[in-house]
Amino acid sequence: MKRPTLLAVAALLTMGTAEARAIDLTVAEKTYATVCANCHGRTGKGMASFPSLAGRDATYISDRLKQYRAGEKVGPNTPLMMPQATELSDDEIASLSVYISTNFK
Amino acid sequence: MKQHAIAWSLCAALTSGVILGLPAVAAAQSNGPSITPTTVLSGLDNPWDMAFLPDGTMFFTEKCRGLSVMLPSGEVNALLGMKDSQGYASTNDDLFCEGQAGMNGVAVDPNFASNRQIYVYSTSSLSDPVTNRVMRLKVNDDLTGVSDRTDIIDDIQYKPAATNHPFGGPGAHNGGRVRFNPGDGFLYVTTGDTHNGKVPQSPTLIGSKVLRVDRDGNAATGNTPPEGFDARTYTYGHRNVQGIAFRPGDNQPVVAEHGPWHTDEITVLKNGGNGGWDPRPNMAGRGDCPDDYCGYEPNQMKGMDATERAAYMPMTDSKTFPEAMQPAWTNNGLSQGTSSAEFLTGEQWGDWDGRLVVGIMGIGFGGTPVGQRIDVIDLSDDGMSVKEVTTMAIPMATGRYRSVVQGPDGNLYTAVDQGEIYMLSPN
Repeated sequence: MKRPTLLAVAALLTMGTAEARAIDLTVAEKTYATVCANCHGRTGKGMASFPSLAGRDATYISDRLKQYRAGEKVGPNTPLMMPQATELSDDEIASLSVYISTNFK
Repeated sequence: MKQHAIAWSLCAALTSGVILGLPAVAAAQSNGPSITPTTVLSGLDNPWDMAFLPDGTMFFTEKCRGLSVMLPSGEVNALLGMKDSQGYASTNDDLFCEGQAGMNGVAVDPNFASNRQIYVYSTSSLSDPVTNRVMRLKVNDDLTGVSDRTDIIDDIQYKPAATNHPFGGPGAHNGGRVRFNPGDGFLYVTTGDTHNGKVPQSPTLIGSKVLRVDRDGNAATGNTPPEGFDARTYTYGHRNVQGIAFRPGDNQPVVAEHGPWHTDEITVLKNGGNGGWDPRPNMAGRGDCPDDYCGYEPNQMKGMDATERAAYMPMTDSKTFPEAMQPAWTNNGLSQGTSSAEFLTGEQWGDWDGRLVVGIMGIGFGGTPVGQRIDVIDLSDDGMSVKEVTTMAIPMATGRYRSVVQGPDGNLYTAVDQGEIYMLSPN
């Protein structure tokens, strides 16, 4: 978690993209703790009506966030997720995807 | 399954119930006592409710696992598991979870010492269509198992399929709290609208109601619902009641409800009263709505001004129902996930003795702050307003406060969806 360069490489391999992204895991960790954890839990296991993120790979997380950002409906929690994703940049989505997929197995 | 909470290894403690101390700090309050939190159980799966015996024995439910009990020694016995649960003394395969539904509330019979009965609200597949049930169970003498299951209510509506709404999956708006009123001795059961527009004002469907029944599930003598209503109805026209408590002194029932993108409510109930929630389409100036449920309209998928939303789809529609019960508190017009309720009692609470505490789970939508917290509310004597609202300062990370229950030791216990049960001690 404290080795962003290595993880960035890993993320690129995992996500199968040729597009380089600036991965900032420190910011992603803070974003997760202050925003995502309210519903998905501190360890990503989900709770109540909110799904678990554990075991999801970076591509899955990234694709969902981009769909929400684009205003697509993806399941019943879309109204909660769309506003969260609207302001995220590609780099922030990539960072969150790496953070979540590497920390919540 | 037997679990010994105190003597376990650290490894076990990380994944199962165990008593752990949080840093011994207390938070200063603007009024009332400071609070010291202590972790009672952790590693739980969506703990939903607790109920105590006088010696501190604590029954608790986990939404997708089942019913367990923690003894005063800290030992945890898993009593009744749901479908696919492991390690329980017994399992009932008809009990299942989906979305907000599953094993919810638990209450101890006031005469437990002689009849050893407890009551549990759970979703069950025994009926077709599926329903929620209130089960009466007998606990054995050494608190290692339950038997003699009797479903005293078996016809509470359940949402069986997804619909085109926020949180629109199966199991939505499932109600689920069960509490005995110390004043009249009856069992109160809170139910939800299941995203079905017809349910709240229906005389025969028992979702969106507060039911009042005896130990066998029969209607309480003295219920006064409108003519033609199910006789078990104490109040109707609710959205999704998850909190109910009884005011010290007069034992008047008070409910907490989660609002529809606006207006969480606390309401002092009147026997036979209407909560004024009516999400049917083509009512009160509304047109058609997604899947015949207007509960999140207008503009259900996007944020907008809460006042404007409330004018279109009011939580309490006083124009259509002039006699509707009026809320004492509306969370400043916001919806943040109001769940459970309890009255604090005892001089250890100082200025808060007799005040209502409400657990708020937190929902950040359309610019509304998430708002996870426990509020301490001073209700007016007539129950029509609040005199003061204080957010309890608790020196720990916030959680989705699903349940608040005062224990026999005078402390407040709270379950959070994250998987913990905490003891909150006043100083």
